[in-house]
Amino acid sequence: MSGQLGAIIRAVVFILLALAACGVIFEFAGYSAFQMFHSIVDGAFLRRNALEHALRWALPLFITATGVVISFRAGYFNIGAQGQFYVGAICAAFVAEWLRGYPGGVVIPLCFAAGMTGGALWALWPGLLRLRSGADEVITTLMGNFLAGLLLVYVTAGPLKDPSGSGQQASSRPLEAAYRISTSNGVSPTIIGIAILVGLAMWWLVNRTAFGVLSGLGGRNPTMVQWQGASTWKIGLASFLISGALAGLAGTIELMGPNGRLAGGFLPAHGFTAVLIALVAGLSITGAAIAAFFFGGLASAALYLPVMAGLPSAAIDIVNASIALFITARSRLVDTLTKAWRRPWKTS
Amino acid sequence: MEDVVIAILRSGTPLVYVTLAGVIAQRAGVWHLGLEGLMITGACATIVGIVLTGSVVFALLVAVLICIAGSVLFWFVVEKLKANQIIAGLGLTGLGLGGTSLAIQSIFGSQAAISAPFGLPRLGAAFGAYGVLSVLVLVMPVVVFLCWVLLCRTRFGLRLAASGEHPFAARSVGVDPSAMRLAALVIGGALCALAGAELAAGSLQIFSQNMTAGRGFMGFAAVIFGAGHPLWATLAALFFAVVGALGIRAQLVFGDRVPHDLLLGLPYIATIFGVWLSARLRGGAKSATGGFGELRDS
Amino acid sequence: MRGNDDAILACRNVAVRYGDVTALDDVSIAFPRGMIHAVVGQNGAGKTTFARVVSGLVRPDQGAVEIGGKLIAGGNVNDARRAGVELVHQSFALPPSFTVAEAMQFGAAGGALYTRAALERRWQAHLDALDVKVSAGARIRTLTVEQQQAVEIARALVTDARLLILDEPTAVLSPEGAKKLFERVRRLKERGVTVLLILHKIREVLAIADTVSVLRGGRLIDGPLPASDIDADALASLIIGPSAKMLAGEDRAALTGAAAPRGAETETGPIAGPPVVSLRGVSTRPDADGPALQAVDFVVQPGEIVGIAGVEGNGQRTLVRAISSLADIAEGSLELAGRDVTNATLSQRRAAGLRVIPFERNVEGLSLTSPLWENWSAGQLLARPLLAAISPSALRRECKSALDAWDVRYAEVGQPAGSLSGGNAQKVILSREMDESGKLIIAAQPTRGLDIGATAFVWDALRKARDGGCGVIFVSSDLDEVFDLADRVVVMLSGRIVAEFRPPFDLTRVGAAMTGARA
Repeated sequence: MSGQLGAIIRAVVFILLALAACGVIFEFAGYSAFQMFHSIVDGAFLRRNALEHALRWALPLFITATGVVISFRAGYFNIGAQGQFYVGAICAAFVAEWLRGYPGGVVIPLCFAAGMTGGALWALWPGLLRLRSGADEVITTLMGNFLAGLLLVYVTAGPLKDPSGSGQQASSRPLEAAYRISTSNGVSPTIIGIAILVGLAMWWLVNRTAFGVLSGLGGRNPTMVQWQGASTWKIGLASFLISGALAGLAGTIELMGPNGRLAGGFLPAHGFTAVLIALVAGLSITGAAIAAFFFGGLASAALYLPVMAGLPSAAIDIVNASIALFITARSRLVDTLTKAWRRPWKTS
Repeated sequence: MEDVVIAILRSGTPLVYVTLAGVIAQRAGVWHLGLEGLMITGACATIVGIVLTGSVVFALLVAVLICIAGSVLFWFVVEKLKANQIIAGLGLTGLGLGGTSLAIQSIFGSQAAISAPFGLPRLGAAFGAYGVLSVLVLVMPVVVFLCWVLLCRTRFGLRLAASGEHPFAARSVGVDPSAMRLAALVIGGALCALAGAELAAGSLQIFSQNMTAGRGFMGFAAVIFGAGHPLWATLAALFFAVVGALGIRAQLVFGDRVPHDLLLGLPYIATIFGVWLSARLRGGAKSATGGFGELRDS
Repeated sequence: MRGNDDAILACRNVAVRYGDVTALDDVSIAFPRGMIHAVVGQNGAGKTTFARVVSGLVRPDQGAVEIGGKLIAGGNVNDARRAGVELVHQSFALPPSFTVAEAMQFGAAGGALYTRAALERRWQAHLDALDVKVSAGARIRTLTVEQQQAVEIARALVTDARLLILDEPTAVLSPEGAKKLFERVRRLKERGVTVLLILHKIREVLAIADTVSVLRGGRLIDGPLPASDIDADALASLIIGPSAKMLAGEDRAALTGAAAPRGAETETGPIAGPPVVSLRGVSTRPDADGPALQAVDFVVQPGEIVGIAGVEGNGQRTLVRAISSLADIAEGSLELAGRDVTNATLSQRRAAGLRVIPFERNVEGLSLTSPLWENWSAGQLLARPLLAAISPSALRRECKSALDAWDVRYAEVGQPAGSLSGGNAQKVILSREMDESGKLIIAAQPTRGLDIGATAFVWDALRKARDGGCGVIFVSSDLDEVFDLADRVVVMLSGRIVAEFRPPFDLTRVGAAMTGARA
């Protein structure tokens, strides 16, 4: 697939450009860019157990990112993954709290169902506003993120508040140990299994169903599929719901796996990183698996930097933001450079 | 009553400035989701500038220059590298949020909020109870009027609008749409700096991380709600501010009976309502069109 | 005439390449001032590129352009405008939300700051002086195409234009409108303006131009020749080139606009039996996309091609959209092949035998960034449940054999549709829309922008479908091709069907019906 190779090279070129921009910012802020990048790479991929740490962040990110792939492919810019992630986690936490004492075999599946439903519902209303009235989903889903953030603060300080909690950050009561699907290191066969299952299902949906082809066509050109007789309703709503449900699933995993409880403003960069993964992957599921691992490494470096290297974790936010700034760019120069790998389509 | 009006003007003024930046960009054909990032950059630069130099004028100047630099970067990526406006805008916002956090950590050694010894000049006793407001509040209506004149009553404004609506028409009379967009984004950058300055140094004299809390995105929504017209968008921004002030007022009235975190969400809900209403009235104003590379046909 | 110092416009060795495509190839030509010059050629001959090079919109890769003896910087509109060149585009370049006065102002000099009243006064005076009957306060989007063109010409004349270039100005006009335009052009000539008309109908060239120049495949074939010295047939040969002999006489005349074909009854005639489509008193709800249909009665029999004529924007689009379930039917009923489908969705109507070749090939017909096989299989995938499993490799194989059968030139079925030429892209659409089970084929502007070979291919495909018993609705704003292809012609005006004609067609009478005049 020569066309894909060209796309990969282009993505790599722009990521390098973004990293160069980061270096300039680091230097301006008074840090040594070399030291910063060295520490990031160290924290992300080189230190002991680095791969396991990267995987812990990569798995939930991958799940959310596949959802983003589905909605972006269909042409809907659902950037509300963060909010859907939060609402999913909140719904799961409520179910776990209500059913406290029941066996894990009952509670865990119900939590997952609740989390996915919650995430889907948080994507449903922007979807309806978009499909029924044409309200711009970019802004509604963004606002949904802020609302979900407030909701999280509210439930962790109110209905689900941990009475014994002290600390500055309000948090919910810890889950019963029987409901945890992993230890705090976040990697367990259950979570890996779920991620693989989601990956396979979404790959099949994108590459082997009528939905996959039609949503891709409709995402690139909605007018064309309308003239072919498609109902944008069904495809659009399904895209919103699937992406919301998957973000909710990731939220549930974070709650029941590594975190074990809700805390106000936990994992604030999850949704945005998932959007980045989807874009870096060129909206392909396979690509998202690889990109998720890369960004998972960066996420684990964000914890590593302040503790081990004495550097601010905001550096990772800057790396991610620069990649976002450049990842959709295209330039003649890069196209010319990658042309050698692309097949000439000129037929006269 | 006075305190409500003061609250509205305090929260509304930064929103109006950032909305105007969005209006100018949108007219030139850029859906500007980087407003949030530029605004927080302006806020941070103003406070840090005051703390380090002790001069408000110098601090404002630095804020404006940094925001203009950010706008030029955004223009380069969107216009010269043909990046998707929405994603690049979110990236610029991320850079602003992360960069300000990095900057205060680097300068002050911690992520705690930075407070300045003084802020923007106040109106003073001559304005009675309103004297606590900063001069930027008083200047705001003038800036709105100037923007209206610039966009709706000058040839420059027509060329800007043509560059956004029909770039080919602009090109065919010798106007370079790309240069017009640069001009629009540079003016917008300066306005974002003022928005940030008013937010951080207008009344609080504090900078804290993520303090913009989505105001840049609300400004963007006000552009949609106000159909890209400077006056209507200003009204939309003030409407969001009124809803926010009512929420704060409601806390005082209801006390603990209504959770105050949820009342804080009222401006966001108003924003969603505004975007929905304008879509109903005028058909969908879609930011997510144009310049999509392989994501979209056009 | 070449190298004449008195030339208003002289091009030397101008070449323009877009990627691997050569749009203009070493063109050297000089036009004397004070005359009406025509530049003709088929689609893709490089006419529009030529106009854009002269007006500074396109920078030539090679060569130089002189206006009035003065060399202008390539690709610089301001320089060309200062030298007195103005270009009126085929699809007008006026922002739709602007008022007429604003559209004039934004390209003009002077009055950087204005009030609305002063602005409208200034430009109303300008419009009145040019005898353009449009209010300066009207929004561009509310104007008819003829008004828009008049405004665009008036806009071009806000500066002291010495060379006015009109790119295919007659393409959107009725025959009557074209006559009025030519009068306007002659008056400009009297005022000392040199006019360069890009045209593709020989009939119009001979009616208006003083000289004619022919482009083919980006090369200057001949010119400027005095128009009085050349006859229609010789000009047609120059335009078409070596393939001229392959075309039947009527087709050849229709393709070059040498003489309007009269049309002929087909040997078989329409097949008796239930009509493939019948509209009874159909009115549509008003929407932003053109005028609503008003009580339209319309029937197509199997085995006939019905031409829809009319000035663009008079409801042809709404008619197609109403039949395709893309416009809401407020009143009346619609039957497809004997089945009532008034409330049916497009996919149900497609299942009943409807096939559509949409107006905008690159927007409504194809997703340019999607692979050919996805574009090709969209229709059949929509007939399946959304979660139906598909085999991409099988679809690719089917697509390949279909495209090969339609003689599409492509490299592989995975290439994006946007990498095909216009003619090949249209063939992809034909291969998708013209299968055995189609009963009614709507072909909306199917030949727009295609060169002569591709146009003839599309015509043949539609004729074959008709001969195979399909009903065909053929929408075109080019009367010559409507007359050549159609067995029957209906004329649309403001959302109504106002007239119906059978062969032999009369250009004057049909033209009159298009503008609402009684003939």
